[in-house]
Amino acid sequence: MMLVNTGRVIGTAAQSFRRNIWLTLATVSVLVLTLVSANLLLSLNVLGKIALSAVKAKVDVSVYFTPDADESRVQTVKVFLLSLPEVKDVEYVSPARAMERFSAAHKNDDSVLASLGELQGNPLGATLIVKARSIDSYPKIMAALDQPAYASIVEDKNFDDREAVIERIGSISNRIETAGVVVSLLFVGITLLIVLNTIRMSIYTRRDEIAIMRLVGASNTFIRSPFYVEALLWSLLAVLLTVALVLPGAQLARPFLEAFFGTSGADLAGFYHANFLQVFGVQLGCVAGLSLLATKIATSRYLKV
Amino acid sequence: MIRLKNVSKNYPPDIVGLQNINLHIRPGEFVSIVGQSGTGKTTLAKILIAEERPSRGQIVIGGWDISDIKASDVPLLRRQIGVVFQDFKLLPKKTVFENVAFALEVCGASPNQIRNIVPQALNIVGLLDKRNRYPKQLSGGEQQRVVIARALVHRPKIIVADEPTGNLDALNTREIITLLEKINYFGTTVVLVTHNRDVVNELRRRVITLDRGLIVSDQEEGKYLL
Repeated sequence: MMLVNTGRVIGTAAQSFRRNIWLTLATVSVLVLTLVSANLLLSLNVLGKIALSAVKAKVDVSVYFTPDADESRVQTVKVFLLSLPEVKDVEYVSPARAMERFSAAHKNDDSVLASLGELQGNPLGATLIVKARSIDSYPKIMAALDQPAYASIVEDKNFDDREAVIERIGSISNRIETAGVVVSLLFVGITLLIVLNTIRMSIYTRRDEIAIMRLVGASNTFIRSPFYVEALLWSLLAVLLTVALVLPGAQLARPFLEAFFGTSGADLAGFYHANFLQVFGVQLGCVAGLSLLATKIATSRYLKV
Repeated sequence: MIRLKNVSKNYPPDIVGLQNINLHIRPGEFVSIVGQSGTGKTTLAKILIAEERPSRGQIVIGGWDISDIKASDVPLLRRQIGVVFQDFKLLPKKTVFENVAFALEVCGASPNQIRNIVPQALNIVGLLDKRNRYPKQLSGGEQQRVVIARALVHRPKIIVADEPTGNLDALNTREIITLLEKINYFGTTVVLVTHNRDVVNELRRRVITLDRGLIVSDQEEGKYLL
């Protein structure tokens, strides 16, 4: 009997779904719009984090040694730096390699290349490129190098912390998150109103049927259930349509994002594929929850059983 | 079968529906509730099927006190009382068979039960041969017979018919009353709410007359008094 009743409830919901097809489409469209907006904000947030980590990855300390500094002493400094818990990695760049890099960086600058040609020998010393575990550790690493033992061989230390860029990206990310909360709350309100009114219309359309159900002794659960099933069907359809829009959209945006960020790490499609169940499962849960809440309000208010 | 003790129904602010009704209807009786418009006949019918709650008093149906019935128990009561109203309340997009079957479907009957019971009910009301027709292809009397068939599928002990002939001509009215008599003959208690003088006078059954919410007359073989 339970199975028969469940089948009939689903059948009644499907019938109502078809009977009010235009209203259904309007409701599903609003739900899709809500979900697409949520995904847009989510994408911006993900891209913000990708940008932030890309900039953070570029932060390092370069320690330039004098040209006459002995390599063994430079290696001692490297060992010292690696012994610091804040240091993640230290790259040794030999004077010859430093020269190659410098030449490559200025290959289009004839005056620099001409000046290098006039110099006898390699004017550049070795370099150590230090990466910290955390961006906050760089000042401490810099301070650790300020000791008399290294003063004679360390020519210069360069710390480009890109703090301003990081702060700006962080601030944009935070604003996106705040906007996301505000827009989400707005859409929650719109979704509740739309679903509530659609259910109200559905109750009105089926009023004769409901009146007969009540007269012949249908249980209150049986009368109410199709409206909940209908709301779940809308939610499911809305999420499926959103998936059908968002995944190809993310795929299409891929080359533009790669060009913009200059890295293949800015892969939205990859993010959606990797977190498919988590992202769309949560969205289905939220939309279904909202729809069911609106249905509960509508049936309590407009459906007399 | 049906017992009402000091039942009153008031509607805010000061409209009186029923006043201190005391009534006992025995199993298998055919009772006509008569009175002019606005005297409380329909209110009484609605109270019997728990569509309305009494403001005061006690209603017992088949030993079940429904004076303060819980919403979740109302469907159980309705399955024991067949209801027939003046407006036919048939679903236009369903056939005669489907309309009658609907009453069983929504109460969880199995397809087998539906296949067995619906033809029996249609046979009683004489519409088995029109089972595949739609309501608009039937006369008013036939539509009302479909409603009666629908009311019979739960094999109710009581039928409450509120102005079942209100929209029908004399011939169809006669058919419906004959059908209700037939149903009563097989043991179902029938409560007929009507203001049709001819119907009541021809029936020669118990007649309860209401006036301004009060029972003013209760005769075993009554006539329409007002």
